[in-house]
Amino acid sequence: MRYTDFTPYDLVLLAQGLGVTLWVFLVTTAIGVTIGLVWGIVRFYRVPVLTPVISFVSEFLKNSPVLVQLFLVFFGVPGLLHVDMSPILAATITLSANTAAFIYVIVVSAIESVGRDQIEAARAFGLTRWQVLRHIIAPQAVAFSAGPLTALLVNQLQVTSLISVIGVMDLAKIGANLNLRTLKPFLVWTAVGALYYVSAKLIALIGARIEARLRAYAAFRGL
Amino acid sequence: MRLDLSLLIPYIGLLAEGAVMTLEIAVLSLAGSVVLGMVVAIARAGKSATMRRIAFFYADVFRNVPFIVQLFFFYYGLPEIGIYIDAFTTGVVALSIAGGAYASDVIRAGILAIDDGILEAAEVSGLSRRKIFTLIVLPIALRTSVRPLGSVLINIILTSSVLSTITLNELTGQARIVSSDTFRPFEVYVVLLAVYGVLTYLVSTGVSMLHRRLNRDLQPEVN
Repeated sequence: MRYTDFTPYDLVLLAQGLGVTLWVFLVTTAIGVTIGLVWGIVRFYRVPVLTPVISFVSEFLKNSPVLVQLFLVFFGVPGLLHVDMSPILAATITLSANTAAFIYVIVVSAIESVGRDQIEAARAFGLTRWQVLRHIIAPQAVAFSAGPLTALLVNQLQVTSLISVIGVMDLAKIGANLNLRTLKPFLVWTAVGALYYVSAKLIALIGARIEARLRAYAAFRGL
Repeated sequence: MRLDLSLLIPYIGLLAEGAVMTLEIAVLSLAGSVVLGMVVAIARAGKSATMRRIAFFYADVFRNVPFIVQLFFFYYGLPEIGIYIDAFTTGVVALSIAGGAYASDVIRAGILAIDDGILEAAEVSGLSRRKIFTLIVLPIALRTSVRPLGSVLINIILTSSVLSTITLNELTGQARIVSSDTFRPFEVYVVLLAVYGVLTYLVSTGVSMLHRRLNRDLQPEVN
Protein backbone atom coordinates (compact mmCIF):
# COMPACT_ATOMS: atom_id res chain seq x y z
CA MET A 1 0.00 0.00 0.00
CA ARG A 2 1.37 3.34 -1.02
CA TYR A 3 0.31 6.73 0.30
CA THR A 4 0.90 9.21 -2.48
CA ASP A 5 -1.39 11.97 -1.23
CA PHE A 6 -0.39 14.77 1.06
CA THR A 7 -1.60 14.33 4.62
CA PRO A 8 -1.90 16.91 7.39
CA TYR A 9 0.99 15.11 9.10
CA ASP A 10 3.29 16.29 6.29
CA LEU A 11 3.00 19.77 7.77
CA VAL A 12 4.31 18.39 11.06
CA LEU A 13 7.18 16.78 9.18
CA LEU A 14 8.02 20.07 7.49
CA ALA A 15 7.90 21.87 10.82
CA GLN A 16 10.22 19.24 12.32
CA GLY A 17 12.61 19.63 9.41
CA LEU A 18 12.59 23.39 9.80
CA GLY A 19 13.23 22.94 13.51
CA VAL A 20 16.27 20.72 12.85
CA THR A 21 17.59 23.18 10.24
CA LEU A 22 17.21 26.17 12.55
CA TRP A 23 18.64 24.28 15.51
CA VAL A 24 21.72 23.21 13.57
CA PHE A 25 22.03 26.74 12.24
CA LEU A 26 21.88 28.32 15.71
CA VAL A 27 24.25 25.83 17.35
CA THR A 28 26.85 25.97 14.59
CA THR A 29 26.59 29.75 14.45
CA ALA A 30 27.20 30.02 18.20
CA ILE A 31 30.21 27.67 18.05
CA GLY A 32 31.49 29.21 14.83
CA VAL A 33 31.28 32.78 16.10
CA THR A 34 33.10 31.80 19.30
CA ILE A 35 35.93 30.03 17.46
CA GLY A 36 36.16 32.78 14.85
CA LEU A 37 36.39 35.43 17.58
CA VAL A 38 39.15 33.53 19.36
CA TRP A 39 41.04 33.20 16.06
CA GLY A 40 40.61 36.93 15.42
CA ILE A 41 41.93 37.79 18.88
CA VAL A 42 44.90 35.44 18.39
CA ARG A 43 45.69 37.36 15.24
CA PHE A 44 45.24 40.70 17.03
CA TYR A 45 47.90 39.63 19.56
CA ARG A 46 50.08 38.45 16.63
CA VAL A 47 50.75 35.10 18.29
CA PRO A 48 53.64 33.54 16.37
CA VAL A 49 53.11 30.19 14.59
CA LEU A 50 49.40 30.13 15.51
CA THR A 51 48.47 33.14 13.38
CA PRO A 52 49.71 31.76 10.03
CA VAL A 53 48.23 28.35 10.86
CA ILE A 54 44.83 29.92 11.49
CA SER A 55 45.03 31.98 8.30
CA PHE A 56 45.84 28.84 6.33
CA VAL A 57 43.02 26.81 7.88
CA SER A 58 40.56 29.64 7.27
CA GLU A 59 41.61 29.96 3.61
CA PHE A 60 41.40 26.19 3.18
CA LEU A 61 37.89 26.01 4.63
CA LYS A 62 36.68 28.97 2.57
CA ASN A 63 38.08 27.64 -0.71
CA SER A 64 36.76 24.09 -0.70
CA PRO A 65 33.22 22.80 -1.06
CA VAL A 66 31.32 22.33 2.19
CA LEU A 67 29.88 19.11 0.81
CA VAL A 68 33.36 17.57 0.51
CA GLN A 69 34.25 18.80 4.00
CA LEU A 70 31.12 17.05 5.23
CA PHE A 71 32.15 13.82 3.46
CA LEU A 72 35.62 14.05 4.94
CA VAL A 73 34.29 14.40 8.48
CA PHE A 74 31.42 11.94 8.13
CA PHE A 75 33.03 9.18 6.05
CA GLY A 76 36.75 9.90 6.35
CA VAL A 77 37.38 10.63 10.03
CA PRO A 78 35.63 7.50 11.40
CA GLY A 79 37.63 5.37 8.96
CA LEU A 80 40.92 6.93 9.95
CA LEU A 81 40.49 7.23 13.71
CA HIS A 82 38.06 4.34 14.24
CA VAL A 83 35.53 6.50 16.09
CA ASP A 84 31.76 6.59 15.78
CA MET A 85 30.33 9.55 13.95
CA SER A 86 26.65 10.40 13.77
CA PRO A 87 25.38 12.56 10.89
CA ILE A 88 24.36 15.34 13.26
CA LEU A 89 27.79 15.38 14.93
CA ALA A 90 29.57 15.50 11.57
CA ALA A 91 27.25 18.29 10.46
CA THR A 92 27.86 20.29 13.64
CA ILE A 93 31.66 19.93 13.41
CA THR A 94 31.84 20.82 9.72
CA LEU A 95 29.44 23.75 9.73
CA SER A 96 30.94 25.22 12.92
CA ALA A 97 34.43 25.12 11.41
CA ASN A 98 33.15 26.57 8.16
CA THR A 99 31.32 29.41 9.89
CA ALA A 100 34.41 30.08 12.02
CA ALA A 101 36.55 30.49 8.90
CA PHE A 102 34.27 33.20 7.54
CA ILE A 103 33.74 34.86 10.94
CA TYR A 104 37.53 35.07 11.29
CA VAL A 105 37.73 37.16 8.10
CA ILE A 106 34.95 39.46 9.32
CA VAL A 107 36.59 39.87 12.74
CA VAL A 108 39.98 40.67 11.19
CA SER A 109 38.57 43.31 8.85
CA ALA A 110 36.40 44.75 11.64
CA ILE A 111 39.43 45.14 13.91
CA GLU A 112 41.38 46.72 11.08
CA SER A 113 38.51 49.11 10.36
CA VAL A 114 39.29 50.99 13.58
CA GLY A 115 41.80 53.76 12.87
CA ARG A 116 45.41 53.33 14.02
CA ASP A 117 45.39 56.83 15.57
CA GLN A 118 42.67 55.80 18.01
CA ILE A 119 44.67 52.79 19.13
CA GLU A 120 47.84 54.85 19.45
CA ALA A 121 45.99 57.50 21.46
CA ALA A 122 44.58 54.82 23.76
CA ARG A 123 48.02 53.24 24.18
CA ALA A 124 49.45 56.70 24.97
CA PHE A 125 46.89 56.97 27.79
CA GLY A 126 48.35 53.78 29.20
CA LEU A 127 45.58 51.31 28.32
CA THR A 128 46.75 47.72 27.98
CA ARG A 129 46.33 45.87 24.71
CA TRP A 130 43.32 44.01 26.14
CA GLN A 131 41.71 47.26 27.34
CA VAL A 132 42.22 48.77 23.90
CA LEU A 133 40.54 45.75 22.35
CA ARG A 134 37.71 45.71 24.88
CA HIS A 135 36.87 49.42 25.16
CA ILE A 136 38.11 51.07 21.97
CA ILE A 137 38.03 48.48 19.20
CA ALA A 138 35.20 46.13 20.18
CA PRO A 139 32.29 48.62 20.22
CA GLN A 140 33.19 50.05 16.81
CA ALA A 141 34.16 46.70 15.32
CA VAL A 142 30.83 45.17 16.33
CA ALA A 143 28.93 47.97 14.57
CA PHE A 144 31.18 47.59 11.52
CA SER A 145 30.75 43.84 11.27
CA ALA A 146 26.96 43.70 11.75
CA GLY A 147 26.28 44.04 8.00
CA PRO A 148 28.75 41.41 6.73
CA LEU A 149 27.77 39.14 9.62
CA THR A 150 24.11 39.23 8.60
CA ALA A 151 25.01 38.43 4.99
CA LEU A 152 27.19 35.56 6.18
CA LEU A 153 24.49 34.10 8.42
CA VAL A 154 21.90 34.20 5.62
CA ASN A 155 24.41 32.29 3.52
CA GLN A 156 25.21 29.80 6.28
CA LEU A 157 21.51 29.03 6.72
CA GLN A 158 21.48 27.87 3.11
CA VAL A 159 24.68 25.91 3.56
CA THR A 160 22.94 23.87 6.29
CA SER A 161 20.81 22.29 3.55
CA LEU A 162 23.88 20.27 2.45
CA ILE A 163 23.75 18.18 5.63
CA SER A 164 20.70 16.44 4.16
CA VAL A 165 23.14 14.62 1.86
CA ILE A 166 24.74 12.78 4.81
CA GLY A 167 21.34 11.94 6.22
CA VAL A 168 20.45 14.59 8.77
CA MET A 169 16.67 14.96 8.82
CA ASP A 170 16.66 18.67 8.11
CA LEU A 171 14.21 20.64 5.97
CA ALA A 172 15.89 19.64 2.68
CA LYS A 173 15.86 15.94 3.62
CA ILE A 174 12.19 16.09 4.60
CA GLY A 175 11.58 17.73 1.23
CA ALA A 176 13.42 14.91 -0.53
CA ASN A 177 11.36 12.30 1.34
CA LEU A 178 8.05 14.03 0.62
CA ASN A 179 9.11 14.38 -3.01
CA LEU A 180 9.84 10.67 -3.28
CA ARG A 181 6.54 9.71 -1.68
CA THR A 182 4.12 12.12 -3.36
CA LEU A 183 5.96 12.62 -6.67
CA LYS A 184 4.86 16.26 -6.71
CA PRO A 185 8.25 17.97 -7.01
CA PHE A 186 6.98 21.47 -7.82
CA LEU A 187 4.72 21.65 -4.82
CA VAL A 188 7.16 20.08 -2.37
CA TRP A 189 10.25 22.05 -3.39
CA THR A 190 8.30 25.30 -3.60
CA ALA A 191 7.06 24.80 -0.05
CA VAL A 192 10.55 23.87 1.19
CA GLY A 193 12.10 26.78 -0.71
CA ALA A 194 9.51 29.17 0.73
CA LEU A 195 10.32 28.03 4.28
CA TYR A 196 14.04 28.62 3.67
CA TYR A 197 13.27 31.97 2.07
CA VAL A 198 11.17 33.18 5.00
CA SER A 199 13.83 32.03 7.49
CA ALA A 200 16.55 33.84 5.53
CA LYS A 201 14.46 37.01 5.37
CA LEU A 202 13.84 36.78 9.10
CA ILE A 203 17.59 36.57 9.77
CA ALA A 204 18.21 39.51 7.42
CA LEU A 205 15.51 41.54 9.16
CA ILE A 206 16.86 40.87 12.66
CA GLY A 207 20.37 41.66 11.41
CA ALA A 208 19.24 44.97 9.89
CA ARG A 209 17.49 45.94 13.15
CA ILE A 210 20.59 45.18 15.22
CA GLU A 211 22.82 46.99 12.76
CA ALA A 212 20.66 50.11 12.84
CA ARG A 213 20.77 50.03 16.64
CA LEU A 214 24.56 49.57 16.77
CA ARG A 215 25.15 52.29 14.22
CA ALA A 216 22.82 54.76 15.93
CA TYR A 217 25.80 56.64 17.39
CA ALA A 218 27.11 57.37 13.89
CA ALA A 219 23.76 58.15 12.27
CA PHE A 220 23.19 61.49 10.63
CA ARG A 221 21.16 63.59 13.05
CA GLY A 222 19.72 65.94 10.46
CA LEU A 223 20.26 69.67 10.25
CA MET B 1 45.56 4.80 11.70
CA ARG B 2 47.76 5.49 8.71
CA LEU B 3 47.59 7.87 5.82
CA ASP B 4 48.61 6.29 2.54
CA LEU B 5 48.00 8.47 -0.49
CA SER B 6 49.76 6.13 -2.92
CA LEU B 7 46.65 3.92 -3.11
CA LEU B 8 44.99 6.67 -5.13
CA ILE B 9 47.51 6.45 -7.99
CA PRO B 10 45.43 3.96 -10.06
CA TYR B 11 42.46 6.33 -9.79
CA ILE B 12 44.16 9.48 -11.03
CA GLY B 13 42.62 9.07 -14.49
CA LEU B 14 39.13 8.73 -13.03
CA LEU B 15 39.55 11.81 -10.87
CA ALA B 16 40.99 13.76 -13.80
CA GLU B 17 37.87 12.91 -15.83
CA GLY B 18 35.81 14.32 -13.00
CA ALA B 19 37.94 17.45 -12.84
CA VAL B 20 37.46 18.01 -16.58
CA MET B 21 33.71 17.70 -16.16
CA THR B 22 33.75 20.11 -13.21
CA LEU B 23 35.63 22.63 -15.35
CA GLU B 24 33.19 22.17 -18.24
CA ILE B 25 30.28 22.73 -15.89
CA ALA B 26 31.97 25.76 -14.35
CA VAL B 27 32.78 27.41 -17.70
CA LEU B 28 29.31 26.80 -19.18
CA SER B 29 27.58 27.94 -15.97
CA LEU B 30 29.75 31.06 -15.79
CA ALA B 31 28.79 31.96 -19.34
CA GLY B 32 25.13 31.33 -18.52
CA SER B 33 25.38 33.34 -15.29
CA VAL B 34 27.01 36.33 -16.97
CA VAL B 35 24.47 36.43 -19.81
CA LEU B 36 21.56 36.05 -17.40
CA GLY B 37 23.17 38.48 -14.97
CA MET B 38 23.54 41.08 -17.73
CA VAL B 39 19.90 40.81 -18.76
CA VAL B 40 18.71 41.02 -15.17
CA ALA B 41 21.11 43.87 -14.37
CA ILE B 42 19.76 45.82 -17.35
CA ALA B 43 16.22 45.19 -16.10
CA ARG B 44 17.17 46.27 -12.58
CA ALA B 45 18.92 49.44 -13.74
CA GLY B 46 16.20 50.24 -16.29
CA LYS B 47 13.25 52.61 -16.21
CA SER B 48 10.32 50.18 -16.10
CA ALA B 49 9.16 49.64 -12.52
CA THR B 50 7.57 46.28 -13.32
CA MET B 51 10.76 44.96 -14.88
CA ARG B 52 12.74 46.23 -11.92
CA ARG B 53 10.42 44.44 -9.54
CA ILE B 54 10.51 41.15 -11.46
CA ALA B 55 14.31 41.29 -11.74
CA PHE B 56 14.69 42.04 -8.04
CA PHE B 57 12.31 39.22 -7.15
CA TYR B 58 14.37 36.74 -9.21
CA ALA B 59 17.68 37.78 -7.64
CA ASP B 60 16.14 37.82 -4.17
CA VAL B 61 14.55 34.37 -4.40
CA PHE B 62 17.52 32.58 -5.92
CA ARG B 63 19.93 34.01 -3.38
CA ASN B 64 17.78 33.15 -0.38
CA VAL B 65 16.85 29.58 -1.25
CA PRO B 66 19.53 26.87 -0.86
CA PHE B 67 21.05 25.67 -4.11
CA ILE B 68 20.25 22.05 -3.39
CA VAL B 69 16.54 22.92 -3.16
CA GLN B 70 16.69 24.80 -6.46
CA LEU B 71 18.53 21.89 -8.04
CA PHE B 72 15.99 19.30 -6.92
CA PHE B 73 13.20 21.63 -8.02
CA PHE B 74 14.58 21.56 -11.56
CA TYR B 75 15.83 17.98 -11.57
CA TYR B 76 12.60 16.41 -10.38
CA GLY B 77 10.27 19.15 -11.58
CA LEU B 78 11.20 19.61 -15.24
CA PRO B 79 10.27 16.05 -16.36
CA GLU B 80 6.91 16.68 -14.69
CA ILE B 81 6.10 19.39 -17.22
CA GLY B 82 7.42 17.34 -20.13
CA ILE B 83 10.95 18.72 -20.35
CA TYR B 84 13.37 15.79 -20.43
CA ILE B 85 16.97 16.93 -20.20
CA ASP B 86 19.94 15.03 -18.83
CA ALA B 87 21.51 15.65 -15.44
CA PHE B 88 24.43 17.58 -16.95
CA THR B 89 22.17 20.12 -18.67
CA THR B 90 19.94 20.39 -15.61
CA GLY B 91 23.00 21.05 -13.47
CA VAL B 92 24.37 23.71 -15.79
CA VAL B 93 20.95 25.38 -16.06
CA ALA B 94 20.45 25.36 -12.28
CA LEU B 95 23.97 26.69 -11.65
CA SER B 96 23.51 29.39 -14.30
CA ILE B 97 20.25 30.54 -12.76
CA ALA B 98 21.68 30.57 -9.25
CA GLY B 99 24.94 32.20 -10.41
CA GLY B 100 22.98 34.70 -12.51
CA ALA B 101 21.32 36.06 -9.37
CA TYR B 102 24.75 36.88 -7.92
CA ALA B 103 26.19 38.05 -11.25
CA SER B 104 23.27 40.44 -11.75
CA ASP B 105 24.15 42.17 -8.48
CA VAL B 106 27.78 42.48 -9.49
CA ILE B 107 27.06 43.80 -12.98
CA ARG B 108 24.40 46.17 -11.68
CA ALA B 109 26.94 47.65 -9.28
CA GLY B 110 29.31 48.01 -12.24
CA ILE B 111 26.61 49.82 -14.23
CA LEU B 112 25.71 52.16 -11.38
CA ALA B 113 29.38 53.02 -10.88
CA ILE B 114 29.73 54.46 -14.40
CA ASP B 115 30.47 58.16 -14.39
CA ASP B 116 27.52 60.30 -15.54
CA GLY B 117 29.91 62.32 -17.70
CA ILE B 118 30.56 59.29 -19.90
CA LEU B 119 26.84 58.73 -20.46
CA GLU B 120 26.26 62.42 -21.18
CA ALA B 121 29.14 62.46 -23.64
CA ALA B 122 27.65 59.45 -25.39
CA GLU B 123 24.21 61.09 -25.57
CA VAL B 124 25.68 64.32 -26.89
CA SER B 125 27.49 62.33 -29.59
CA GLY B 126 24.06 61.22 -30.77
CA LEU B 127 24.38 57.50 -30.01
CA SER B 128 21.11 55.61 -29.68
CA ARG B 129 20.13 54.17 -26.32
CA ARG B 130 20.87 50.66 -27.53
CA LYS B 131 24.32 51.66 -28.79
CA ILE B 132 25.11 53.48 -25.54
CA PHE B 133 24.23 50.34 -23.65
CA THR B 134 26.02 47.75 -25.74
CA LEU B 135 29.08 49.77 -26.73
CA ILE B 136 29.67 51.92 -23.67
CA VAL B 137 27.83 50.84 -20.54
CA LEU B 138 28.27 47.06 -20.72
CA PRO B 139 31.99 46.97 -21.63
CA ILE B 140 32.81 49.36 -18.79
CA ALA B 141 30.55 47.58 -16.32
CA LEU B 142 31.93 44.13 -17.21
CA ARG B 143 35.50 45.37 -17.07
CA THR B 144 35.16 46.83 -13.59
CA SER B 145 33.34 43.75 -12.32
CA VAL B 146 35.93 41.19 -13.38
CA ARG B 147 37.09 40.60 -9.82
CA PRO B 148 33.63 40.08 -8.24
CA LEU B 149 32.65 37.94 -11.22
CA GLY B 150 35.74 35.89 -10.42
CA SER B 151 34.34 35.18 -6.97
CA VAL B 152 31.07 34.19 -8.62
CA LEU B 153 33.09 31.69 -10.70
CA ILE B 154 34.83 30.33 -7.61
CA ASN B 155 31.43 29.97 -5.96
CA ILE B 156 30.17 28.11 -9.02
CA ILE B 157 33.13 25.70 -8.87
CA LEU B 158 32.54 25.02 -5.18
CA THR B 159 28.77 24.72 -5.61
CA SER B 160 29.14 22.36 -8.58
CA SER B 161 30.12 19.68 -6.04
CA VAL B 162 26.42 19.58 -5.09
CA LEU B 163 25.65 18.28 -8.60
CA SER B 164 27.04 14.92 -7.48
CA THR B 165 23.69 14.48 -5.69
CA ILE B 166 21.86 14.32 -9.03
CA THR B 167 24.01 11.42 -10.29
CA LEU B 168 26.48 13.64 -12.11
CA ASN B 169 30.01 12.23 -11.99
CA GLU B 170 31.98 15.43 -11.76
CA LEU B 171 34.97 15.72 -9.42
CA THR B 172 33.02 15.02 -6.23
CA GLY B 173 30.93 12.31 -7.89
CA GLN B 174 34.04 10.47 -9.10
CA ALA B 175 35.61 10.83 -5.67
CA ARG B 176 32.55 9.18 -4.12
CA ILE B 177 33.03 6.27 -6.51
CA VAL B 178 36.74 6.02 -5.72
CA SER B 179 35.95 6.23 -2.01
CA SER B 180 33.52 3.30 -2.13
CA ASP B 181 35.96 1.39 -4.33
CA THR B 182 38.98 1.75 -2.06
CA PHE B 183 37.26 1.99 1.35
CA ARG B 184 39.69 4.84 2.09
CA PRO B 185 37.36 7.86 2.33
CA PHE B 186 39.77 9.97 4.38
CA GLU B 187 42.56 9.88 1.80
CA VAL B 188 40.14 10.43 -1.07
CA TYR B 189 38.41 13.44 0.44
CA VAL B 190 41.60 15.05 1.75
CA VAL B 191 43.02 14.89 -1.77
CA LEU B 192 39.73 16.16 -3.15
CA LEU B 193 39.75 19.19 -0.82
CA ALA B 194 43.32 19.94 -1.90
CA VAL B 195 42.34 19.67 -5.58
CA TYR B 196 39.48 22.12 -5.08
CA GLY B 197 41.81 24.42 -3.16
CA VAL B 198 44.36 24.39 -5.99
CA LEU B 199 41.60 24.87 -8.56
CA THR B 200 40.14 27.92 -6.84
CA TYR B 201 43.62 29.32 -6.19
CA LEU B 202 44.48 29.06 -9.90
CA VAL B 203 41.17 30.68 -10.84
CA SER B 204 41.63 33.58 -8.43
CA THR B 205 45.19 34.14 -9.67
CA GLY B 206 43.98 34.10 -13.27
CA VAL B 207 41.15 36.51 -12.46
CA SER B 208 43.57 38.92 -10.79
CA MET B 209 45.79 38.87 -13.87
CA LEU B 210 42.80 39.43 -16.16
CA HIS B 211 41.60 42.28 -13.97
CA ARG B 212 45.01 43.98 -14.12
CA ARG B 213 45.22 43.48 -17.85
CA LEU B 214 41.73 44.86 -18.59
CA ASN B 215 42.07 47.82 -16.25
CA ARG B 216 45.69 48.61 -17.13
CA ASP B 217 44.82 52.17 -18.17
CA LEU B 218 43.45 52.84 -14.68
CA GLN B 219 46.62 51.70 -12.90
CA PRO B 220 48.93 54.38 -11.59
CA GLU B 221 52.17 54.60 -13.54
CA VAL B 222 55.00 52.75 -11.86
CA ASN B 223 58.39 54.24 -12.46
